[in-house]
Amino acid sequence: MIKTIKKYSRVYRHFVSTSIALGTSFRLHFVLLILMDLLFYFSSLASVSFIFDHVNQIGPWQRTEFMFFVCFMLAVDHLHMTFVSESFWELSHQIRTGSLDFLLLKPIGTVFHAFLRFIRPASALNIVVTWGLLIYYGQAIGLLWWQWILMPILMLLSLTLLVTMEILVSCSMFITIESFGINFLRMQLQQLARWPDFVYRLWARRILTFGLPVILVGSAPVHWLLSPFEFKFMAYMFLAIIVMWLIIAPVWRLSLSRYESASS
Amino acid sequence: MQAELRKWRATFEVSWTNHLAYRLNFILLVFGPALVFFFIKYNLWKSIYTMPGITVLQGYDFDQMLQYQLLVLIVSLMAQGHNSMKLADDIRLGRISSYLIYPFSFFKFHTASFLAFQGIQVLICGFTISFLMIIPLVTFSDFNSVMRGLYFASLVSFLWFQLQFLVGLLAFWLEETWILRVILMTTAQFLSGAILPLEFYPQSFVKFLDYTPFPYLTYIPIKIFQGDSINLLNASLVLLFWSLFVYAINHILFKRGVRLYTAAGM
Amino acid sequence: MIHAKALSKSFRSYIKQPGLVGSVKSFFSREWTTKHAVENFDLEVQGGEIVGLLGPNGAGKTTLMKMFTGIIVPSSGSVNVIGYKPFERSIAFRQQIALVMGQKSQLWWDIPALDSLHLLGSYYEIPEAELKSRIAHLAELLQVSDLLKIHVRKLSLGERMKMELMSCLLHKPSIIFLDEPTIGLDLVAQKTIRRFLLDYHEQHKPTIILTSHYMADVSALCRRIVLVLDGQKQFDGPLEKFAQILGTEKFVKFQFAESQNPNSESFQGFKATWNPEYTRVEMQIPEKNLRDASIKILTNHAVVDFHTEKLAIERVMDELMSNPALAASTQNHAG
Repeated sequence: MIKTIKKYSRVYRHFVSTSIALGTSFRLHFVLLILMDLLFYFSSLASVSFIFDHVNQIGPWQRTEFMFFVCFMLAVDHLHMTFVSESFWELSHQIRTGSLDFLLLKPIGTVFHAFLRFIRPASALNIVVTWGLLIYYGQAIGLLWWQWILMPILMLLSLTLLVTMEILVSCSMFITIESFGINFLRMQLQQLARWPDFVYRLWARRILTFGLPVILVGSAPVHWLLSPFEFKFMAYMFLAIIVMWLIIAPVWRLSLSRYESASS
Repeated sequence: MQAELRKWRATFEVSWTNHLAYRLNFILLVFGPALVFFFIKYNLWKSIYTMPGITVLQGYDFDQMLQYQLLVLIVSLMAQGHNSMKLADDIRLGRISSYLIYPFSFFKFHTASFLAFQGIQVLICGFTISFLMIIPLVTFSDFNSVMRGLYFASLVSFLWFQLQFLVGLLAFWLEETWILRVILMTTAQFLSGAILPLEFYPQSFVKFLDYTPFPYLTYIPIKIFQGDSINLLNASLVLLFWSLFVYAINHILFKRGVRLYTAAGM
Repeated sequence: MIHAKALSKSFRSYIKQPGLVGSVKSFFSREWTTKHAVENFDLEVQGGEIVGLLGPNGAGKTTLMKMFTGIIVPSSGSVNVIGYKPFERSIAFRQQIALVMGQKSQLWWDIPALDSLHLLGSYYEIPEAELKSRIAHLAELLQVSDLLKIHVRKLSLGERMKMELMSCLLHKPSIIFLDEPTIGLDLVAQKTIRRFLLDYHEQHKPTIILTSHYMADVSALCRRIVLVLDGQKQFDGPLEKFAQILGTEKFVKFQFAESQNPNSESFQGFKATWNPEYTRVEMQIPEKNLRDASIKILTNHAVVDFHTEKLAIERVMDELMSNPALAASTQNHAG
């Protein structure tokens, strides 16, 4: 077990160093990535703020609570952009060109290699902005010290749930050769997750909670932070993560068995 | 002249085939995002308008807001579907060498390709509008408004094509241009009224937007579809101005780019 | 090392009618066709062998390699490589195999080769000190020590291929699959790589499975050839036996000081190809007649130059490609 952890730590350190080497070799690209993220954060927050210029609340939440939710999701999105997003796009490219072959030959877990290989160092720098906003609105809603301590864990849980669903969606890339479009399907999942559960009408809410639990990504942890005695959503979230993880292994293996490897 | 038309037609046909070849990609890249965007906004505005005391916001009741969002869907299908990925790849991967030798320029090739794509989009839009009118989820004040709207959305599609072309040309200088495409999409969505009607934005901000082409990408076409009193001639001229402006920049960039160009050996 | 029995792999692809109408039709409904890339393939390879897989493009060689390495799953049949089922892709299996593909690179394009090699070393759990020394040793053998810190995209094809070879040998695999390793390389680079592989094999005795279009690769490296045509095995045996498929004739070329009469008795009874001036002839002479026929020509005609060559395996391949019926008869030669 220790040996395995050491091995994967060593490999991941190289993932980070090679990604930094790659990310910093194109400087304009580096700066533009930061700008792209910032524009996205600004437009997300401004859109919600403009709505609240004309209404007092949406569902049970007023401006600060809703803005806190948006900031929480932006922080999760930031982690996604930094640690996994690039790997998902690379995977579709690798499946299309057949360069996935080499990934399959390496004596290391293929899910680990496929989805954690590339990091975006430029996006990592935006942590200052995302956490700055999160802290600002978190203080506005009066979060307590222990809630702040749990915040990173909640964020990791959210990221885990989102990424596991995206991995399952990405498995379809092996079946359809049109793998690029599947990435846009993933992005629609992210879009759906960026709004709280109560925004969705009844049947949509049920399907997106119990069928494809994408709205639990943000709604579960934020509902709990706002009402720590209500465990319902967090319970659903844990259950969803466990179920997703149980499904991933056989689905991934099945997907790999369908890989045809583009001819050279 | 006949030979020239033949080249356009052949390129149109090949591009049409290309666009339809990857059918799942086609649905997922073009149709899917617009639908999901609409779905989210439908749910959001429904939940806002069902709150006590809310019937009209900035001149929109729920039905009018729903109409607006549906028209965002239609306008985005009609005017903003095209992207310059292939163009950027042609530059990045050195395929541009072929265009420099063919007797059919890079500009003409990609314009013909855009026309093929737009042809497909018009068909999809036609079906969507008919479908929505049959349900009925959307109503137009008269047939005239629909025609004016479609005409204007076609003009917008050309401006969008020029903007995408501009981003694609930057592949002469940038390793990857997808970031710029995303920046363009994010900015356009936010500033054009695709997320929220511009009436919801601070008015000083909207005044500034009037000096940019962004409201013409979504907000103005929607108003035309809705039969609002927009001076179609004025709006067309403004759009034409912006299209020519961006076209001129593209022309300069392409000349500079080709000079800098070195074929990437593959 | 490799035990394959009745191995088969089929791929499905769709047919589209040309033109605009065809495109729209195919958007809604498609006609599918199946290609049998590999059919009923048997193969036994012992440890330490170097085996050449020969065949034209599309014969199924690369598909076989991918099934042996576990990249793709066979449609039917069984395969066992170093005691493992490749498509189960156990970590222990992957630790012992290596694959180099001449047409695909496993090195990361935008970083120096050294960074890629260190990352690879971490996959194979090679201790840092040992990794450093192996990299240094292999780089010296391949004469690329000065290139390790240069971005891979800046290297020439030959230099890149040497780095690819290094990357596949770091973990001292017991079986190495080389898929067209010298494709696109100049003659000097090809020779260097062949020499290196032979030396490496002599020292470490891995099993090597090689595919190549260059007969020089096969002649230099392989003692045993497996011929693959249309996904099926058509020959499996020693290189010498392959060269003899079309018989034991020799090609003999004569250059004369002046024009000759092609109907002269010396040239009768053998297949002869003349140049337009009748100053040069290429003849196919059975081995048993070679001495007498050559003496006759050398004595009776003004020969300025001549040489013989065995019916090179290139010619065997050419014959087999243009005369598929001959392939069926080579079944008798299958080892």
